[in-house]
Amino acid sequence: MTPPVIELRSVVRTYPGEPPVRALDGVDLRIDTGEMVAIIGPSGSGKSTLLNVMGTLDRPTEGSVLIDGVDTRELKERHLCGLRATRLGFVFQSFHLIESARVLDNVANGLLYQGVARAERERRARRALELVGLGERATTKPPKLSGGQRQRVAIARAIVAEPSLILADEPTGNLDSRTSDEVLALLDRLNADLGATIAIITHDHEVAERVPRRITVHDGRVSELTGVGS
Amino acid sequence: MNASIDPTAPDARPRRSRLRPVDRVRTGLGGLASRPGRTLLTALGIAIGIASMVTVVGISSSSKADLLAELDELGTNLLQVRPGQSLFGDSATLPADADAMVRRVATVEDTAGIIAIPGDVQRNDHEDEPNGLSIIATDGRVSETLGLTARVGRVLGVGEQHLPVVVLGSLAAERLGIDSIEGGPTITLGDDSYQVIGILESHPLHPDLDRSVLIGESWATERYDIDPNHSTIYIRVAKDRVEVTRPLLARTANPAAPNEVDVSRPSDALEAQTKVDDNLQNLLLALGGVALLVGGVGIANIMVISVIERRSEIGLRRALGASRGHIRSQFVIESAALSTLGGALGIALGVGATAAYASSQGWTLSVPATALGGGVLAALAIGALAGLYPAAKAARLDPADAVRPHA
Ligand SMILES: Nc1ncnc2c1ncn2[C@@H]1O[C@H](COP(=O)(O)OP(=O)(O)OP(=O)(O)O)[C@@H](O)[C@H]1O
Ligand SMILES: [Mg+2]
Repeated sequence: MTPPVIELRSVVRTYPGEPPVRALDGVDLRIDTGEMVAIIGPSGSGKSTLLNVMGTLDRPTEGSVLIDGVDTRELKERHLCGLRATRLGFVFQSFHLIESARVLDNVANGLLYQGVARAERERRARRALELVGLGERATTKPPKLSGGQRQRVAIARAIVAEPSLILADEPTGNLDSRTSDEVLALLDRLNADLGATIAIITHDHEVAERVPRRITVHDGRVSELTGVGS
Repeated sequence: MNASIDPTAPDARPRRSRLRPVDRVRTGLGGLASRPGRTLLTALGIAIGIASMVTVVGISSSSKADLLAELDELGTNLLQVRPGQSLFGDSATLPADADAMVRRVATVEDTAGIIAIPGDVQRNDHEDEPNGLSIIATDGRVSETLGLTARVGRVLGVGEQHLPVVVLGSLAAERLGIDSIEGGPTITLGDDSYQVIGILESHPLHPDLDRSVLIGESWATERYDIDPNHSTIYIRVAKDRVEVTRPLLARTANPAAPNEVDVSRPSDALEAQTKVDDNLQNLLLALGGVALLVGGVGIANIMVISVIERRSEIGLRRALGASRGHIRSQFVIESAALSTLGGALGIALGVGATAAYASSQGWTLSVPATALGGGVLAALAIGALAGLYPAAKAARLDPADAVRPHA
């Protein structure tokens, strides 16, 4: 039996301050291979904190995060980084592209910290660009791209290493509704056709409507939304 | 089913994140390539520092090389022996056969002795003020031993030893107002009148000869009641044998009292003048060092700004699997590369400036390879050092914080 792609057990994340903020307040969550999950909730509810903890960019104050059955608390920094390089893909609201680097290099950077040789990185990056429909723009630089195209480049970078889990924090937050639809359709397709496991944070209910499994976050607590048609 | 207790075990520990060495360098250089203007301006500080140091070293080295070549031509293989002082502080004298003894040393090629004669030198038709000129009796070999040449007329030959004729040193001729031998100018030494048969070229190694009037030794000893012992013996030694010959000379010239003999090398006095330049050179080098320091601080500054500006790039790289060490090395390499670029630029500028100056002075260009290699290494080290703090800052950034959109 394969373990879940990710499992959170009683995760608490407190930000120190006066008073301290309990951004995550006892979160239990489990996502299995091939799932596509929407995480919704109002601003400040703790969605980004949840995603960062899931992505090991942030460590929980209490509780544990298991990725592919590995307890991340037990990993040293270099192995944690290795885990991010190999098992996790990130998509951010603000794209995070290196503006001076070609689209191809931006995507290939998804394999940089695995120690893959450049030729191989580029070969796989081209394939990922084909998948997101930007095969023709490999040598373009990001400033020449539209917002939707940029986000597709970022998605290509997230999938190039074929991670176990793709974490997207408001991937459509900077896009108009038509391009949002395109980007969501792309994520849908990656999930349906390639079996990619994806968690999308959004506070847009319309976006969430399209996703089979929905989780809401409220004041640092999560609950499963059930019964709403997909 | 098999020996493995935990089926996830082989897969349990993820591989460490890894950045190939070429990619380490490439990521370090990428940041510079993307901001060419800033890169160039920041590198300029180091470039100026290195350029000034290379120029200082280059000019000094070129001029020294030139001086040494000149000295070589004048005779670094020329030694001189003079009487020193006796144990009781009296002026000593050289034995009469000192010249002959010294000439017998195997490594000695040639010798010539002179005798200083007390007395005033005057132009016949003038009632002159004291002019500081001295009278020297030479044995006829002196021109050959020292390589003296006549600017006007001829040098004192062996055949003219017994005649009342003189040759003037260049300064002596100037002071006496004689610049030609046409019309047979004469001068007065004591009560005697002498015909001037030649004027010597100035000789930088022997300023005392420039200030002298040369008469034949045979004439002088016959005519005047003077101490016949040599006051100076010039010794030309086989090239490259100077060091072995020098310690032998005192003992050879005066076996009875070697400690009463002064042995010196006239070219040393000229070479010593370059030591004065060394002080100036050190000062200029120190100024170049300050420029380097300022350049290094400038790089550190720009790197700190760069780290702040690129926080989202750093966050992204952490998300892609970069470790703290990877981030640190990226910025140290960037900083070192920035500085090295400045160093290379500085070397080009410095060598260019040196070449221009050297050619204006008619010198051949000489920049020591150590200055070039040292310049690049210094720039590299300064850059790496300057990058340590900004790199540590970049590595310490909290990845979760760095990926958040910032105002
Ligand atoms: N670095 C931090 N230090 C202190 N408090 C923080 C920090 N980051 C987040 N918070 C607080 O934690 C809570 C959750 O923030 P988080 O960014 O996870 O919310 P979010 O659901 O992603 O909001 P949004 O929809 O606006 O992105 C908020 O109250 C926020 O102010
Ligand atoms: Mg958020």
